[in-house]
Amino acid sequence: MSIRGIDLIIVIAYLIAIPVFGVYFRKYVKTEEDYFLAGKMLPWWVISMSIIGTNIGAYDYMGAAGGAYRFGIAQANYEWIGAIPAMVLSALLFVPYYWKAGVYTVPEFLGKRYNLAVRVIEAILWGAFLACVLGVFFWASGLMLNEYLGIPVEVSLLITALIVGIYTITGGLAAVAMTDVVQLLVMFIGGVALTVLGLWTVGGWSGLVNAITPTNPDHFKLFLPLDNPTYPWLGMIFGLALVLSPAWWCCHQAIIQRTLGARSEWDAKAGMLFASFPKMLIPILVVLPGLLALALNPGLVGADMDKAFPWLIKNLLPAGLAGLVFAAFMAALISSVDSTLNSAATLWTRDIYQRFFKKDASDRHYLRVGRILTLVFVLWAIAFAPVTKEFPGIYVAMQTLLSIFQGPTFAITLLGIYWKRANQWGGLSGLLGGVAISSSLFFITKSSFLYIAWWSFLGSALITMLVSLLTKPDPSEKLEGLVYGLVMKDKDIQDILKKRAEGGE
Amino acid sequence: MGGWLAGIPLFWGKIFAAVFFVGMIVWAWFRPRKYIYEDSPDGNRWRDLRIWATVLLGIQIVLYIVF
Repeated sequence: MSIRGIDLIIVIAYLIAIPVFGVYFRKYVKTEEDYFLAGKMLPWWVISMSIIGTNIGAYDYMGAAGGAYRFGIAQANYEWIGAIPAMVLSALLFVPYYWKAGVYTVPEFLGKRYNLAVRVIEAILWGAFLACVLGVFFWASGLMLNEYLGIPVEVSLLITALIVGIYTITGGLAAVAMTDVVQLLVMFIGGVALTVLGLWTVGGWSGLVNAITPTNPDHFKLFLPLDNPTYPWLGMIFGLALVLSPAWWCCHQAIIQRTLGARSEWDAKAGMLFASFPKMLIPILVVLPGLLALALNPGLVGADMDKAFPWLIKNLLPAGLAGLVFAAFMAALISSVDSTLNSAATLWTRDIYQRFFKKDASDRHYLRVGRILTLVFVLWAIAFAPVTKEFPGIYVAMQTLLSIFQGPTFAITLLGIYWKRANQWGGLSGLLGGVAISSSLFFITKSSFLYIAWWSFLGSALITMLVSLLTKPDPSEKLEGLVYGLVMKDKDIQDILKKRAEGGE
Repeated sequence: MGGWLAGIPLFWGKIFAAVFFVGMIVWAWFRPRKYIYEDSPDGNRWRDLRIWATVLLGIQIVLYIVF
């Protein structure tokens, strides 16, 4: 397909505008807190839009549209039951405690609640995961640019790295969050345009249903039978809704970091909760296009199903609109990559470098280290991206990586906040035991990631409780402000925490 | 995931989901008002995050009943 002039102009204008806008926020970055937490100045509406910009990545457009092509609207479970309840839980239980603790990272919180070993293990796990995710994101961009613009994959990786790297390295979280706001708007405008045109082409909603259901009778059912290998309904509830999703929304560094940069506790909570509203509309952008591609071209098979979204852009959209939708795809990609980069740098700076290599350096030193590490992760992502092609489906690959340690992390974080008797040895044993369970299930039994998450969560929670009850409780002064009941009952603790959070101590 | 579990009707998925969403709404309303409004610039009704949560989860109930 030859690229049309107007589309190219739109795409190039967008790709230039985003880094220029992002670099503007460089002037607000003077300290480590400015770089990693946007100076704790983010209002709730910026947080909410940045959270969704971070959450919806290129893999959603590619993987989720491909998933919808294969399995139908069951794919929307990831945006509905697999997100909304967990976001409510995160906003009303987890976020206020992270914010009050004045931490920069989730592992830092777990270090305060349990011990240094838990913090380091979590930091290494999350650091490695975020680095892998960057590779997946970059590879998705390669596929898209290759499919649509005909640019070689290697070149497209470099283009992505250049655009994102410029403002993420210079402007930190403030630049990332503010560009995310713009990118989310672009995503919605482009995504809605594609869906509306697609629906019009197939004859509206009823036309879509009539085109698909004769050959795919389950494609308009949210819950699929238990013999479905990828999305069995029981796995959706127990694995996704009860474990994977809360683990993502309550413990994912890139998601939580936006709330830690909130100007107040209420803004932090409201930012997470309000993000649920655009989140509910995401299936319009990522699931419906997969169904539309199936209605218009039912001939895609195997790995080509992941190309349902680019196929739709190439074959459905007129000049101008194709450029806009392509910009929306790039917005999704870039807003996830920048957040992941920033969070990976935050983790490695705060939890590894600052803790083990240089403890009492100046603010400017850590700021410089954060920028250097961001650059290192850009280079790493370029090198790692081609490895992700070994996985059969982009989205499933992401979830499989997550399921190894999401369940155990969620188990110890939940118990840490809700159960004061959970102690450092319980937390450490629960984390290690849970990861051992999930790794065994993954490598030996090859179970679905939904069931791996459930069993590793359960195993981790039981180990944490058992070991905690068999060992000495942590002293109560260590738990002050970190456990739900202990904060709610004590006004003095609330005041101390508020000061700590405001001072970023 | 076969055996006796395979015999559970798909309909029970909708029941589980509805109970789950309702449970979350009830849980949200058990959060104290002071906790919800902590740090809020004013006490306006629209800032009550429990109402936001109820609207969000209510929409979910409808979606899972319809589909």
